[in-house]
Amino acid sequence: MSGTSEPQRTPGALARQLRGALAPFIGMIVVGAVFAAFAPENLGPKTWRLMLVQTVPVGLAAAGMTYVIISAGIDLSVGSVIALASVTGALTLHGGHGGEAAVLAALLTGATCGLYNGLLINVLRLPPFIATLGTMGFYRGMAKWLSGRAAVRPDDLDGLDLWLRPYPELSGAPAFLGLPIGVWVLLGVTGAAALVLRRSVFGRYTLAIGSNEATARLCGIRIGRTKLGIYTLAGALAGLAGLMTMVRLTEGDPTSALGLELDVIAAVVIGGASLSGGQGSVLGAFMGALLMTFLRNRCTAMGLPNYVQEIIVGHIIIGAVAVDQLRLRRRGS
Amino acid sequence: MTPRIPAPRLAALLLVTLLFPIGCTSETASVPAEKKAEALRVAVIPKGTTHEFWKSIHAGAIQAERELEGIEIVWQGPQREDDRAQQLALVENFTATGIDAIVLAPLDDRALVAPCQQAMGMGIPVVVIDSGLQGEMGKDFAAYVATDNYRGGQLAGENLGRILEGRGKVLLLRYDEGSASTEQREEGFVEAIRKFPGITLIDPERYAGATRDSAQREAENLLESGSYDGIFCPNESSTFGMLLALRAREMASKVRFVGFDASPGLLDALRVGQIDGLVVQNPMKMGYEGTKTAVAALRMQPFEPSVDTGVAFVTADNINDPELQPFVAPPLSEYLDE
Repeated sequence: MSGTSEPQRTPGALARQLRGALAPFIGMIVVGAVFAAFAPENLGPKTWRLMLVQTVPVGLAAAGMTYVIISAGIDLSVGSVIALASVTGALTLHGGHGGEAAVLAALLTGATCGLYNGLLINVLRLPPFIATLGTMGFYRGMAKWLSGRAAVRPDDLDGLDLWLRPYPELSGAPAFLGLPIGVWVLLGVTGAAALVLRRSVFGRYTLAIGSNEATARLCGIRIGRTKLGIYTLAGALAGLAGLMTMVRLTEGDPTSALGLELDVIAAVVIGGASLSGGQGSVLGAFMGALLMTFLRNRCTAMGLPNYVQEIIVGHIIIGAVAVDQLRLRRRGS
Repeated sequence: MTPRIPAPRLAALLLVTLLFPIGCTSETASVPAEKKAEALRVAVIPKGTTHEFWKSIHAGAIQAERELEGIEIVWQGPQREDDRAQQLALVENFTATGIDAIVLAPLDDRALVAPCQQAMGMGIPVVVIDSGLQGEMGKDFAAYVATDNYRGGQLAGENLGRILEGRGKVLLLRYDEGSASTEQREEGFVEAIRKFPGITLIDPERYAGATRDSAQREAENLLESGSYDGIFCPNESSTFGMLLALRAREMASKVRFVGFDASPGLLDALRVGQIDGLVVQNPMKMGYEGTKTAVAALRMQPFEPSVDTGVAFVTADNINDPELQPFVAPPLSEYLDE
């Protein structure tokens, strides 16, 4: 535990830290190089921008999921929260309350769902897997109920639909440095979440709980309160992901993001997180999400059937976790 | 407790990421290389790839590919069957990677409008097949090639009413929320069955869901909670799920049952009388006409902007009629090597 409160500042540790932070990037660069060699066509900046746009929902949810997984938890309800938040966002727009209200509604929906997950885990002492397995159905059902079992289609998206245009220059959508607003939201959230994890008390507590909950408790960390914070944060980011999904589809679809929690968990795991907790990186999760988008894009470019892509992503997940297990065993011996 | 990733982990990660893409691509990469580099590439994007229906569309597209010179079909569906966001990304990816034309069966009539507009704006003609798109023909998409689904539903209703001699309780198991083509069939069915005053329509507004598996569960529950004289299901997976549920209760062939779409399993059940009739479409023609229309649009040749590919009602009596063979037994094996 000594390293938690005071990160070592020796040159060796710094180099290791740097290498750790770069690892997912290196994996990505290698996969990128291999695929670029087979499918070099149209891999320019516009394609990368398109891939960033497509990564936004999973990337946002993955930033929150990183905290959950680092705390040795799991959140299976993410896909349902995304659907529910996309429905409440769309309903807010449909009621004519404008874009800001829709953003707020989606965020609040997500945060409330996350808070409820946290309460179930804290108060009823449910394992996170069970608690969120239950709320996965609960939130999905809520989404279908609120939407009247069909997609909610607001007449006017109040400019939100311009947030995730892959080619903003074609439609006159607002963009900064060529990237649409939604991508900046993802980059900003990823940066802030990474910073909070590494630099803030909340972030250090999250790591401490995941490393060893009993020790963290003895150190005086308020486990319950921190966990509530973690799940609420993850929920709020899933809510934001739901808003982005609504923006992409131009409608709040209660059946959207079915099974997306698995993509989100995969992104976090590929990014170097350990499901036994105590380890993980927000930047890594972002790269993991981008890696999956990249593979999808290249498989399309190469005209490869879907199963090839599923085989590849499956093995990348297995590889990432296998290495994690290897590391744990070495540490144990 | 700062997370760090030691060298062995890095090495293994590199190994894994390197090996599998190579292993997978080396076999398949040779296929496109054999084709002419200057061939026009037409992406054909179904809603999924596992249903028989989509295999027939694929066969039709290949039929067009063989007939027309200098084109190459790229067949790819959303990775997760029936996932709107993934189909949207797929259209974007094809647009970004410089495809020449797109034939699309949209999973959602609204969510897919923007990427189609985008493609059309970049000079890539989009032909919409199977299900409608809320857009302006000629601007948001070039043409529409599909079954008249409302008519198909009506055909089912008229025939089920006739088989029941205008009397009894009829159950409607709906397909899925937000699916335009099956909603039209359901509407057409309801309209036609209401014309029989002696028939009570029971529409619990229950949905079969995307798979046979979910349809089977839903059908079992509905059969548990009521008794019916006639049943209608609006697509292949819901019809099959209902058939399985009827068989499990030894009720198959005791209830008058009309389904939609043909697959080998459903046609077998039709022959032994477990299904009384199937409304069949011509998906192979849809794939064929869709592809041909896309190529015509691409080559600036004249084309029909709206094509109805037709429906028919098959029963055990007319299943061997020659004019119904394209509907019930499309020559898939000539085109697909499965």
